[in-house]
Amino acid sequence: MKQYIIILLTAMLIVSCQEKKQTETRWVHTKTIALADVNPIGIAQGEKGIWLSDGDRNRVVLIDKSGVILKTIDSLDRPMHIASEGQMLVIPQYGNDEVLRFRESEKEIVRTWDSLDAPAGVAINVTEMAIADFYNNRIHYTVNSSDWITFGKEGKEDGDFYYPTDVHITESNIWVADAYNNRLQVFDKKGNHLKTIGEDQKMNAATGIFVSDTNAYSTDFENDRVLVFDLEGSLKQVLDADISKPTDLIIIDEVLYVTNYKGKSLSLYTQQEVEISSQEGHDTHNAHHDHEDHKD
Amino acid sequence: MKIKAIILLVAVVMVSAFAKAQKTMDTFEVQVDGLGCPFCAYGLEKKFKEFKGIKKVAIDIETGDFSFQYPSEKNLTMQAVVKQVEKAGYTPITSKITRADGTIEANEANTTELSAESVVVTQQVLVAGKCGMCEARIINAAGSIPGVTAAAWKQNQQMMKVTYDKSQVTLDGIQSEIARIGHDTKAHKATDEAYADLPGCCKYERLDQ
Repeated sequence: MKQYIIILLTAMLIVSCQEKKQTETRWVHTKTIALADVNPIGIAQGEKGIWLSDGDRNRVVLIDKSGVILKTIDSLDRPMHIASEGQMLVIPQYGNDEVLRFRESEKEIVRTWDSLDAPAGVAINVTEMAIADFYNNRIHYTVNSSDWITFGKEGKEDGDFYYPTDVHITESNIWVADAYNNRLQVFDKKGNHLKTIGEDQKMNAATGIFVSDTNAYSTDFENDRVLVFDLEGSLKQVLDADISKPTDLIIIDEVLYVTNYKGKSLSLYTQQEVEISSQEGHDTHNAHHDHEDHKD
Repeated sequence: MKIKAIILLVAVVMVSAFAKAQKTMDTFEVQVDGLGCPFCAYGLEKKFKEFKGIKKVAIDIETGDFSFQYPSEKNLTMQAVVKQVEKAGYTPITSKITRADGTIEANEANTTELSAESVVVTQQVLVAGKCGMCEARIINAAGSIPGVTAAAWKQNQQMMKVTYDKSQVTLDGIQSEIARIGHDTKAHKATDEAYADLPGCCKYERLDQ
């Protein structure tokens, strides 16, 4: 009888010691779209597909969901991080310092107050536009395409930049991929510095940025990663499945698209309920890596 | 018949003018390691556009091969090319100019000559760096030291493997030269000024010394 009690107690102990499983919503790699002859740098949503800038070939292409090129805008000069709004597509040209605004077959040059030196990224939000001015280490911002403010200078302090490559405009703020300071920075729409994010993550060239209602996403070019932060700057997740020299990202219809410059591909991630251990679930300080790889 | 003769004459003149233009261009070939980042590679290309009259600029990010043509009457020097590459944030490994008259000027990385007294050894030493550009800079600096015959550096190990002639140079001397270009080594720390001069993507974590 005593032996049965010991066995029973042992069994109860083992059961109670087993980790409780719980679930959490995370980004999980679901698919990779191979691109035949495109080294994508920037990405934007088109009405009939996805726009990709192909700096190596001086063009922007529109692809369908399988990666087939539907349309090409060529004769550009190193197009970089592009942006779209409805039928409008805005293309910063790093090589000739021009930003082009395309609407169907018409195009015009965006006029800024100051000259640009290698515009690397552009963001638009209805009538607003922001430009990352790479070699000048500045951001240009307008609410109406005619009155511009400019902020930033070369440096390491908050509000300074060291070769900014991409921008994103939200309802209240301007977010900047401060690429070679290896961080993200947040400004209000008067150019006042609000926040610096990701400085402790050892990024090596924070080349691209996207901001959703809940998260800020940054590509970490040399480390082949995408970092997911909450809007306060806490790291939530690290995406590294099938990512090769990422330069930009965007969320379209709840799918996160990551451009792989060297990998000549797009990596697609979707949010899924993932089973995690109770210990992992309570550990709020460690971000989670997406090692689940469901490559098609 | 007269019209045909005129057309033929114009064509001949145009062809000869084109051929002449082709002959008066110097061809420059520079190998730059660590051009994996398009922002850096296009930046290199952009800085060379400052040379008015530059033609046929070609850059291969995968191999680091960079080439262009430039009017020979402007007599662009190797020194000016190297300076412009460095202005863009890179260190050229090798460079070669083929002048329009066929003369070749080459700037090879290593010129070390061994003798009967040479004692060649291979050693590894800690050198701090961060990226492909660091690798190119470290290898180029080590390779240009008289007495060094081969050098390699691995980012993930932070170690430089160097082969050198002990009769010409010491390991300490090699480390001193590497520190001079901004990279901390086990025996010598780079000055803050040299570290500050490194491009943004090369800002590695300093070694505790």
